[in-house]
Amino acid sequence: MNKFSWYEAKSVEDAVKQVNNTVSEELYLPSGKAAIFKSGGIDVLDLVKEGLIQPKTIVNVRNIPGLNKISFDDNGLRIGANVTLAEIEGNEAVKTRYAALHEAVAHAATPQLRNMSTIAGNLAQRTRCWYFRSSDHPCFRKGGDKCFAKHSETGQNENHAILENDRCVSVYASSVATALLAYQGSVMITNGKMESRQVPLSEFFVAPDQDVSRENILEPNDLITEISVPAPDMNTKSYYSKQVQRASYDWSMADVAIVAQMNGDTCEKITITLGAAAPIPIRAYEAEKIVLNKKINEERATRAAKVAMENAKPLSKNSYKLPLFESIIKQGLLEIA
Amino acid sequence: MEKRKEIFPFGIPGHNLSEIEREIPNDEPPAWPVNDQLKEVGKRVNRIDARAKVTGEAKYTSDMKLSGMLYAKFLRSNIPHGSITSIDTSEAEKVPGVHGIHIITKNKEDGMVGNEYPEIKYVGQPIAGVAAESLSIAKDAVAMIKIEYDPKSFVIDLEEAMLPDAPLVFKEPIQRQEDGGDVGVVHDGSKGQGNLRGPTTSSFYGGPRGDLEKGFAEADVMVENTYRTQVHTHMPLETHGVVIDWKPEEMLVYASTQNTAGVRNELANYFELPKSQVRVICDFMGGGFGAKHSAGSFGPMAAILSKKTKRPVWLMIDRKEEHLAEGNRPSSIQTLKIGAKRDGTLTAIQQKSHGTAGVALGAGVGRIAQILYDCPNFKTEQYDVLTHAGPGAAWRAPGNVQGAFGVEQAIDELAEKLKMDPLALRDKIDKSEVRKVERSRGAELFGWSNRKPAGSASGIIKKGMGVAQSCWPRFVTLNSSIEVRILNDGSVEVRGSVQDIGTGTKTILAQVVAEELGLKTTDITVRIGDTLFPDGPGSGGSVVTQSITPPARNAAYEAKMKLFNQIATKWETEASKLEAVDGFIIHKDDRSKKIPFKEALRGMRTSQISVTASRSNDYGGFQQPWGLAYGDLGSVQFAEVSVNTNTGFVKVDRVVAAHSCGRPLNMSQLESQVNGGVIQGISYALYENRVMDKGTGHFMNANVDQYKVPYSMEIPEIEVIIVEEYGALSSTDAYGIGEPANIATAVAIANAVYNAIGVRIYEIPITPASILKALNKIYE
Amino acid sequence: MKKLASGKSKKSISRRGFIRGAGLTTAGTVVLNSGVLAFEHKESYPKGDLIAEGAVEIKMKVNGLSRTLSVEPRTTLADALRDQLDMTGTKIVCDRGSCSACTVYLDGKPINSCMTMALDVGQQEVTTIEGISSGEKLHPVQEAFIEHDATQCGYCTPGMVMSCVHLLKHNSNPTLDDVKHATRGNLCRCGTYPHVFKATLSAAEKMK
Repeated sequence: MNKFSWYEAKSVEDAVKQVNNTVSEELYLPSGKAAIFKSGGIDVLDLVKEGLIQPKTIVNVRNIPGLNKISFDDNGLRIGANVTLAEIEGNEAVKTRYAALHEAVAHAATPQLRNMSTIAGNLAQRTRCWYFRSSDHPCFRKGGDKCFAKHSETGQNENHAILENDRCVSVYASSVATALLAYQGSVMITNGKMESRQVPLSEFFVAPDQDVSRENILEPNDLITEISVPAPDMNTKSYYSKQVQRASYDWSMADVAIVAQMNGDTCEKITITLGAAAPIPIRAYEAEKIVLNKKINEERATRAAKVAMENAKPLSKNSYKLPLFESIIKQGLLEIA
Repeated sequence: MEKRKEIFPFGIPGHNLSEIEREIPNDEPPAWPVNDQLKEVGKRVNRIDARAKVTGEAKYTSDMKLSGMLYAKFLRSNIPHGSITSIDTSEAEKVPGVHGIHIITKNKEDGMVGNEYPEIKYVGQPIAGVAAESLSIAKDAVAMIKIEYDPKSFVIDLEEAMLPDAPLVFKEPIQRQEDGGDVGVVHDGSKGQGNLRGPTTSSFYGGPRGDLEKGFAEADVMVENTYRTQVHTHMPLETHGVVIDWKPEEMLVYASTQNTAGVRNELANYFELPKSQVRVICDFMGGGFGAKHSAGSFGPMAAILSKKTKRPVWLMIDRKEEHLAEGNRPSSIQTLKIGAKRDGTLTAIQQKSHGTAGVALGAGVGRIAQILYDCPNFKTEQYDVLTHAGPGAAWRAPGNVQGAFGVEQAIDELAEKLKMDPLALRDKIDKSEVRKVERSRGAELFGWSNRKPAGSASGIIKKGMGVAQSCWPRFVTLNSSIEVRILNDGSVEVRGSVQDIGTGTKTILAQVVAEELGLKTTDITVRIGDTLFPDGPGSGGSVVTQSITPPARNAAYEAKMKLFNQIATKWETEASKLEAVDGFIIHKDDRSKKIPFKEALRGMRTSQISVTASRSNDYGGFQQPWGLAYGDLGSVQFAEVSVNTNTGFVKVDRVVAAHSCGRPLNMSQLESQVNGGVIQGISYALYENRVMDKGTGHFMNANVDQYKVPYSMEIPEIEVIIVEEYGALSSTDAYGIGEPANIATAVAIANAVYNAIGVRIYEIPITPASILKALNKIYE
Repeated sequence: MKKLASGKSKKSISRRGFIRGAGLTTAGTVVLNSGVLAFEHKESYPKGDLIAEGAVEIKMKVNGLSRTLSVEPRTTLADALRDQLDMTGTKIVCDRGSCSACTVYLDGKPINSCMTMALDVGQQEVTTIEGISSGEKLHPVQEAFIEHDATQCGYCTPGMVMSCVHLLKHNSNPTLDDVKHATRGNLCRCGTYPHVFKATLSAAEKMK
């Protein structure tokens, strides 16, 4: 790790004044003078250890008072930015009311990492694409001129995107994001002028064709302070499945979250989200339409799953992801029915 | 040498146990009875160094901290092939805290074409090293060294490397002494064209046999297929490395090594020092699995930096470097053709293989096809293919693990064609008595009779059962000695250069010596892993137990007899009338006459009895005089898997591993080693794989999170059966088990996957992608 | 300058010549005998909220004792424990939070010390493997690890013990699955898992 100085932020106001860049921007166009946020620090330290960013100052936001609370009431769930994944996993309201979120959190990383990782850091972590993580591979996301993974003959892309993969084929690292998106959660962000704004997760992630240098909308000085998730209806059912090569601890090969409001076996409202399918977590809108306001049965579940993969463009080594996604989407729909 | 006759237990208890008379050297101890009648040997004795491990007190090489020590870091190439045109260290030199920088230059042997820097042949090749006051400073300085390369075209794919116009890795003939694990083998790279080296057509078991054409003509059924295995790395938890303090009178080396004596010899040879002036110590060692037999580049680098800075130098490589440059199991593409008669009798085996060990040699597929089964007509051609990738190294049962993946699937395919049960076919063609017992005991515990026809399971998750066998030679390193010292307070010390790499060598030495002296294992102090003491074997090829425990017993016996002689004089009797039991020395004819072991040595003229002993040739002789013993270290492993036919995931549910290793010395340690071999086999079958980018020649998953190996949730229920087998071959009659533990697992899993889904997978790792493809579920 | 690297035996020549792809001579060695202690040991004390790069002195509660350490902002807790306090039971294996060999507790919670900065610790209490036994008396998990041969090379063992001790502190009646969940972040390459599971379950029984 390069040498850096350390700023211990005492408040949100204090913190947003001290930073001058985002991790993504520093990666894309190194300034050599970056002051960046760190909370749990897992992803930031990983990037610094790999030499992918060389920050001048780390602004530690981990100990800012008030960002570590989790609460649930009629309006829903509010998770402070510094709440750890372990704390979310252990929260009663999450366990009982947000089963899919609970499942996603419990399957993230290791017990040790869950004690360290904060929800904001988990959501904002950068992709695990091995080309992106290698300082020897100047890819699009690092200001380079190519996607190494996409190459049909040389690219090692078994873990990569099958949808929305025209430019950069990385997949989003956070599988908790898949679940939060299905619950239509939102992110509270404070900027350098101390203005706060609430951004739905559906607008939080940034796809490569919009801006390849980043994976979310965070601007320099933007600090996530809270994640909120609407209260589920009594008839809400949810499902989450993360397919990994190694059950103990692994990055997602394919993960699916479904949150649906059911009236008997008729689906009145539904979100189906896919992780590790595209560069950002995405909703399978067309698949949702197949089952919306209908009874979910084997035939519709199968069709919805097929439709979800209709636009898939597998790369040289990841066509297995299509049947994999189809199988878990179908299974999920049948489970909530 | 004077010899005498002794009656030894012989055979397999519960099967065919009998006795045999052997002539043995007079200075070696009498025969031990079977384990049932022993007190320390063969029991579940706690590891004597476990306390240090569970408390964190155990000091490994990486934990060493010497006064004034500097930390060193390598600079490595980030191109796969090319030449270095310039190296500029001026900025690095200015970093405060940097004490020395060493740039690697060519040896004469490298040829003097071009400039002084060796040609770069793989990503991760060491170029220079920096020694500084902290590791952070050394890393800062490495980052400031500027290198310019003249890149050349490269090839990392095995099949592409075989094409006539492929970029050449070496233009010259090469050869390589195997680093370890494969005793006495020199890989010959002098023959061959382009990147192809070989073929190897023979082994120490001989060359081709019989007449292939005739054999195939006699066959009623044939199996012919191609099997593929991946490159995978060792990933020991402690990386390769050393701490070296090159003092004027001695080079003191702490090394994370499987071979202290070997590293000493290598460094002494390299720096033209007398062996007596190089001391290598390895007390605790964080795993090696075959890759840690050599001083590598890190040894000489640390030594040079230590000499020049006059300070001790710590040089442990990091995780990425470990993956890139310090060993891997070569890949293989094997074609096997096997012919058999209707009754299962094999008529011919033809094997052809290609494999790549990167810039090294040693990608053969072992001797499984040659010797596991009786077959009069046999031929093998094994080729090395050089590629621009990190060098391979011995990896737990080198060659045999790859070879078994082909042979043991082919035998199953043959069984199916013959409509025979896979175990019944093996009963017919395998002449090994001990494997026969392993098959029957294993099958019973596993419930083999519940196995259903291939592909007959219904439902989404299909279960399957498979079996596979292994063999591994019984190598003996005759240059193995141990010193046993009995001090006059009755304490006992065992000394040797042999190291304990986590297998439990310290503990078995203590058990053997304790048994001989009538003491408890915990009474024995074991100081090994230090070349100050008599030379022992390297920990590779499962040679340690049979090489070093007979010397330990022999030394303890000789020391005991010296002690008995002293006591016998005092008691006015003969030494042969005395015995050492339960902490006492007792007169056999008058058992009231006894003295505690601790007191027996008081009043000795000198304050210790010290005996250094080695071992004789096997009592029944060797197959090969250099130490190839009769018999083999066989195993039969059974695996049960679940295959999710929707998602393609395979889970190993259960493994039964039936093994033999002569006289078992420590049941819990043996189980531990077998567990380890099985888990690594599962890993090889389903998870790990070196992923190389073909465009840049880089190893993309050279870390821990994306280089997949099993963790706790992947561990099946593993049941270990150890079959006692007495051969009356040495004073302990005991053998190692490390290699065979790892050979059969992956192919047993492949056979079980076939049994589950009815489609055979010819390539590992078996992933969701390969299962879904096999089930025709992948569409474009 | 004396050429050191001309091994005589054919074996060492051929080995050196190509396996490692690298010869070694002294010709390229730069030696800087500045004799000056360059590591910035002129420690500053944290002033205000900004801690400059370079070493600062901090206090840390480790295994019940207050210790003084000299760390840089870039110093990880694992490095601080190993290099400054010589507590080398905490191992660094992956250096990225992927193997849990570096597990220590912060206020009783297992974390990866390789991905925690020393400055992150603050007032939190650090417990390392060295703090698990009480004097000579081992923790029942440690005793069970010995009895069930749950160590092989031993390099993962401290981290495994930390995970299992933490489990038993919060779950006195664990199932096999609970033990697997507790150790799912712990990498062992030798394959001690089956014996780790047995040992932990047996320790739980004994602690009842």
